[in-house]
Amino acid sequence: MSSSITIKEQFEIPGKLKTWAFALMGVGLLALIAGFATKTGTEEERAVFIGTIMYNTIFWTLITNASMFFIAVTTLAMGGWQQSFRRIPEAISTMVPIFGAITLVVLLYIAFTGNHHIYHWLDTKSVETDEVLRGKSGFLNVKFFTIWTILAIGLWSLLGWRMRQLSNEADEERMDTEKGNSFIWRNTVRAALFIVWFALTVGSTVPWLWMMSIDAHWYSTMYSWYTFASSFVSGMSLIALWVIYLKNKGYLEYTNQEHLHDLGKFMFAFSIFWAYLWFSQYMLIWYSNQPEETIYFKNRVQGPYKGLFFLNLIINFISPLLIFMKRSSKRNYTLVTFMAILIIFGHWIDFYQMVMGSISKETVTLGWLDFGILSFFIGLMIFFVSKALASKPLVPKYHPFLKESIIHHT
Amino acid sequence: MHLKYESQLREPLVYGEKTYHNVTEDIVRPIEAKPSKLWYIGFYIAVSLLLFGVYSVYRDVTYGIGQWNLNKTIGWGWDITNFVWWVGIGHAGTLISAILLLFRQGWRTGVNRAAEAMTIFAVMCAGQFPVWHMGRVWMAFFVFPYANTRGPLWLNFNSPLLWDVFAISTYFTVSLLFWYSGLLPDLATVRDRAKTKLRKYFYGVASFGWSGSTKHWQRHESLSLVLAGLSTPLVLSVHTIVSFDFATSVVPGWHTTIFPPYFVAGAVFSGFAMVQSLMLIVRKVFGMQDYITIGHIEAMNKVIVTTGSIVGVAYLTELFMGWYSQNKYEGYTFWYSRANLFSPYGWSYWGMMACNVLSPQIFWFKKLRRNLYVTFFMSVIVNIGMWFERFVIIVTSLYRDYLPSSWSVYYSPTIWEIGFYLGTFGLFFTCFFLFSKYFPVIAIAEIKYVLKTTGENYKEKMVHLEAVDASVFGHSGHGHTIVDNESSN
Repeated sequence: MSSSITIKEQFEIPGKLKTWAFALMGVGLLALIAGFATKTGTEEERAVFIGTIMYNTIFWTLITNASMFFIAVTTLAMGGWQQSFRRIPEAISTMVPIFGAITLVVLLYIAFTGNHHIYHWLDTKSVETDEVLRGKSGFLNVKFFTIWTILAIGLWSLLGWRMRQLSNEADEERMDTEKGNSFIWRNTVRAALFIVWFALTVGSTVPWLWMMSIDAHWYSTMYSWYTFASSFVSGMSLIALWVIYLKNKGYLEYTNQEHLHDLGKFMFAFSIFWAYLWFSQYMLIWYSNQPEETIYFKNRVQGPYKGLFFLNLIINFISPLLIFMKRSSKRNYTLVTFMAILIIFGHWIDFYQMVMGSISKETVTLGWLDFGILSFFIGLMIFFVSKALASKPLVPKYHPFLKESIIHHT
Repeated sequence: MHLKYESQLREPLVYGEKTYHNVTEDIVRPIEAKPSKLWYIGFYIAVSLLLFGVYSVYRDVTYGIGQWNLNKTIGWGWDITNFVWWVGIGHAGTLISAILLLFRQGWRTGVNRAAEAMTIFAVMCAGQFPVWHMGRVWMAFFVFPYANTRGPLWLNFNSPLLWDVFAISTYFTVSLLFWYSGLLPDLATVRDRAKTKLRKYFYGVASFGWSGSTKHWQRHESLSLVLAGLSTPLVLSVHTIVSFDFATSVVPGWHTTIFPPYFVAGAVFSGFAMVQSLMLIVRKVFGMQDYITIGHIEAMNKVIVTTGSIVGVAYLTELFMGWYSQNKYEGYTFWYSRANLFSPYGWSYWGMMACNVLSPQIFWFKKLRRNLYVTFFMSVIVNIGMWFERFVIIVTSLYRDYLPSSWSVYYSPTIWEIGFYLGTFGLFFTCFFLFSKYFPVIAIAEIKYVLKTTGENYKEKMVHLEAVDASVFGHSGHGHTIVDNESSN
């Protein structure tokens, strides 16, 4: 039984993909320059301009970080099925330091220039006179904001990098039981560290600090879990997209419809989970009808954001529910591709309304600038993810659970 | 032939030299034997508790709710605390049957049957509290929406209390169907082995004429899938709606948007703790160590540390928002009433924190996860902690809210409130003892399903597959060649 059959496991970046990446980044840069030239006249315009970059960069940081979350969780759960394509979420998670750096620069720029059109709590005069803001200043202040943001992004990057480093050992040589156990054990420890930090940041503090504090008076205990659900389901969709792309190019031979089906289940289940959190938050605020809470939804449901508000629900809940309910749809490459793009777009819209609905309450600014900046981030993601994919074998050949993944039946 | 393979790094789910026949023997034997002395002692204690409960409820019905120490301010006390506590415990069964089934977790087969039974009994216990709390219990049928002659006195569909009626009765129905349809093949196994006429008759009726034909299995499989699909949202919906009982109000400490998912996590947490307590007893009393292995116990402890930590994040989120909101009523409830150890009920908040958040953290250590004594002790601690959680939420929010002139004096239960609670333990354990005597406590058919992949003796035969190159797995059409080569050697 020799392993004479060679499989295509070394990804080579097609020239066309590179061209696409550069083109998208180029479009993005042009949009950025044009936006800077035409949309930064007044303070309000500047807030919208920076806010547009801000929600994009936070969105992409969180959805690429979701890949590392996926790896950490499946590692802790001793999952076997994901091993045949685990290098894809690994490659996507290499974006965390890159998008994280952009996020850091943008957020610190806002904080240090005191842009109180975005973060009202940066306005020292208001804080002095406003009892509520003064009370919150122990949390909402530049110092803590800076330290926590650096720590959050830094540790996601570091702990994620350590997970990926460990994964390289699966390329080296076959592991016997003892070695395999020690490998799994070290993976477990590193995954646990990542998860704990993830819970303390994405699961709680970071969405409050970065996004919820735009409405400095408003609060909702659900906010962070909601943000997590939104970013996780988009993160799963992004993984599915890359898996399908590589399949189409003839790679990932061990990954088949069974794995796709399970990815589809994740997209389906977490779309519903997102809707569940959405409903819980919205319904409880609507039901008790207290002005200090309903203010958040006022302009979103009854004001200019009404259309986007319902679009958000249709794209992110109704369509996955109806389209992904059927088994065959989760096993169909074309349909999963379509749904993955739709879900990522839908949650991008969700992030848009979460952030911009608070910065620009009266007018919906969604336009060419948003799509331009989005294309910059997509281009950047394609460029670096494909590089990361090409940097090591696509299959962790000696991973102790790889064989389980190969014969996986959903 | 479909290749049976599992990594050697995973522990076997079934220990010992086992064939299909051994599995049947091991699991059905306790049903066919006379119960042990221990069983009788336990059963009598349970029945006595149940009778005490019946008497407590009799007092409540005859003399009214005044038998309890509830008052105008603390309108919900032990009753609703116990109700939520039992409903929460009733979550693990469906989670194990439905969600772990969807996640293809093989270890669920060792514990799913008992967990599902436990779910049903726990929901039965939970249901007692709101019903008897009505006082005029003969009016209980008012909760059903039917055309009536009471004029405008129609149900309030806006009330989460009514949603509870629908949520819990749906949950109970689906759980019961799931549990029972899973039992059918196993009951038929018991029937086929029966030596007495009565036994044959009883299990014959109970197994609905199951013959084990392909058609039966086929329908059984599709039914399981449909029920799993129905149960999965139910796992979330029941405790979500229970949380709405509190969260839709404007009472400080109750109105918080994170309540639904955090209640669900807490429910799973307490449910697993209860499964753990029961399974440790069952494996000892019936000698099921080969089927409920340390690996099973460890897996459940992992669920406990995960859900305990999720609940911990939720507690801290609430506490943080109590300050961050700068809402003085929320701030008062969280910081002066609950988290303040020296307030009248401070002890219950810290009891909750210690039991639910701090103590499960010991399960980060593998040694402790696999220690039976620690596990049993922790499973009890967790359920005490989850009882505290409901008590904290209900009583500490009610006894001091917006109007200090209505603040209540200290609330402690009367003997009849405690008796009612003990009575539900009686009901729960009476049912569980009967179940464990007359029904297979482990799903025989499902153990057989995983046996050849994860049974110890079958795994030993797979050792050679570890040396086979991964690419062969990919090219062999799911392993035909590997298996054939091996058998011809």
